[in-house]
Amino acid sequence: MFSRPLLDPSPGIQGLPIRLRQGVRCRMLPHAPMLALLALLALFALTGSALANPADSAAVSPTNTSGSNTGDAGGAPIAKEQGLLKEDSQDCMRCHWMETMAYRDRETGKIVNLSIDRDAYSHSVHSELACSDCHDRGFSHYPHRSSSADEALNCVDCHEDRQDDGAPNLIGLKHEYDKSVHVTEGVEAFSCFSCHNPHRFHPAQAGESIVDVVAETNNTCLDCHTELLTPVPKGHEWLPRPQAHWGSVRCLDCHTPLEGRIPDRPSHNVLAADDSNRLCVECHSKGSELLSQLYNYRAEQAREQDGFFSQAIYNDAYIVGMTRNPWMDRIGLAVILLMILGVAAHGLGRYLTRRRQEGSK
Amino acid sequence: MSALYLYPVWLRLWHWLNALLFVTLLVTGVSMHFSLNGFIPFDVAVPVHNTAGVLLSIFWLLFLIGNLWGGNGKHYLINPRTLPRDLIAQTRYYMHGIFVGAPHPFHVSADHKLNALQTLSYIGVMYGLMPILVVSGWAFLFSTSLPETLFGIGTVWIIAMVHLVVAWMLALFLVVHMYIITTGETPTTNLKAMVTGWHKEESGG
Repeated sequence: MFSRPLLDPSPGIQGLPIRLRQGVRCRMLPHAPMLALLALLALFALTGSALANPADSAAVSPTNTSGSNTGDAGGAPIAKEQGLLKEDSQDCMRCHWMETMAYRDRETGKIVNLSIDRDAYSHSVHSELACSDCHDRGFSHYPHRSSSADEALNCVDCHEDRQDDGAPNLIGLKHEYDKSVHVTEGVEAFSCFSCHNPHRFHPAQAGESIVDVVAETNNTCLDCHTELLTPVPKGHEWLPRPQAHWGSVRCLDCHTPLEGRIPDRPSHNVLAADDSNRLCVECHSKGSELLSQLYNYRAEQAREQDGFFSQAIYNDAYIVGMTRNPWMDRIGLAVILLMILGVAAHGLGRYLTRRRQEGSK
Repeated sequence: MSALYLYPVWLRLWHWLNALLFVTLLVTGVSMHFSLNGFIPFDVAVPVHNTAGVLLSIFWLLFLIGNLWGGNGKHYLINPRTLPRDLIAQTRYYMHGIFVGAPHPFHVSADHKLNALQTLSYIGVMYGLMPILVVSGWAFLFSTSLPETLFGIGTVWIIAMVHLVVAWMLALFLVVHMYIITTGETPTTNLKAMVTGWHKEESGG
């Protein structure tokens, strides 16, 4: 599942101050009264749109075929067992499906989004999980107690526990993450969830254009780094055509270490500006380590979409280092080499015949 | 023994500075092209290449001006009537005569400094390849002002390929050029002439 560059389309729960690192205090959602008010509103909206709801639910699962005793959407038995269609998940989703399900955090003043996009969830890597698989305690009462949110949701541990179910081991990511500037600079309330929304998260899909992959990945960064949303972003003045770069490379391609990259996913060791890659040739050359992750993906796609021939012609065509056309180089070098050998042989012939002539005189 | 003053100071200056720029561009170009960052750091190679490229453009313009209005252009004119015969004679000399001590079919004079093969190759290089190289080089410098695509292909890619192919061909020219200068009466006759300006031959011209 990690065979392609990972991306997270839109982190929607940045307000949850849940930490990845062990031993860090976790707390959230302490505003029950506000929550209750919102939930009331939500309930109202839910009843109001009860007619639309069944259709929505039906769309979630393509396996929906017949009605069932759940009353509204009606899921096939298999679908009912898992994910959002599991019975207790349906209870949660009675409220949390609403787009307006949110509250304003009294401390930070930020809107905390509590809505779950069912469509996005059903396409996410976690789509088979029911709500209660992760949010496992304290939600039986309504409104939920603020302590309910104190569950120490932890990507790394959870994935480790569920490796047998196919969850990829994230311990390597954690080691990278622990070295990242987001940790070493002590960014407040930073966690996996600052960038990754587990309710939407999915790797880049086959067939997704590289522009979309780049845009989605970079938007993850730009959601917080809003100061960079300028034509010539701060700190990037040295970079020629920054917008062109940002359209075709991920922030991570320069802002993670060059060493120790693996093709499957970007490093989580996000570097400080001063430590980031500034050497143009790291990208603008053949076999660039910096671009290999992204453009390996691209090359696969191009072959699928454009066929082998056009891919062979445009092989390195997306970057300025495109003059590194391997065939052109081989032909050029071979011709030069042959010419050098030719003139050397010619010269040797001249020298030998001259000596023979002089000898015969 | 004959001695001809063929290459005045301005011409030799132009030639050697041109050569220096040419080699500089070749070396920095190769360094950038093959990412030989340890050979020449990329951030050195780029400004050096760009500067030398601009200077080479100026030198090429000087060449053009000198040929159009300075009288130097006569060396780059082809006589279609004698060309085939001269070409065959010159080629035969390089392929055979040079090995058996045959007399050189061409003798330099103030009016004819280039043999038929030289004339043709210099015309190709100076009027053909050089302007393409210069224009594609400038196109690189101003690539941001060019349209993104040309005929449906990325403009920069086209420019890059043109610049690259022409650069390979000119590198090839350099190899041949450096060898051909050794084919005078003695291996250093032509080299000395371009250094001192005097073309000296033991046998009469």
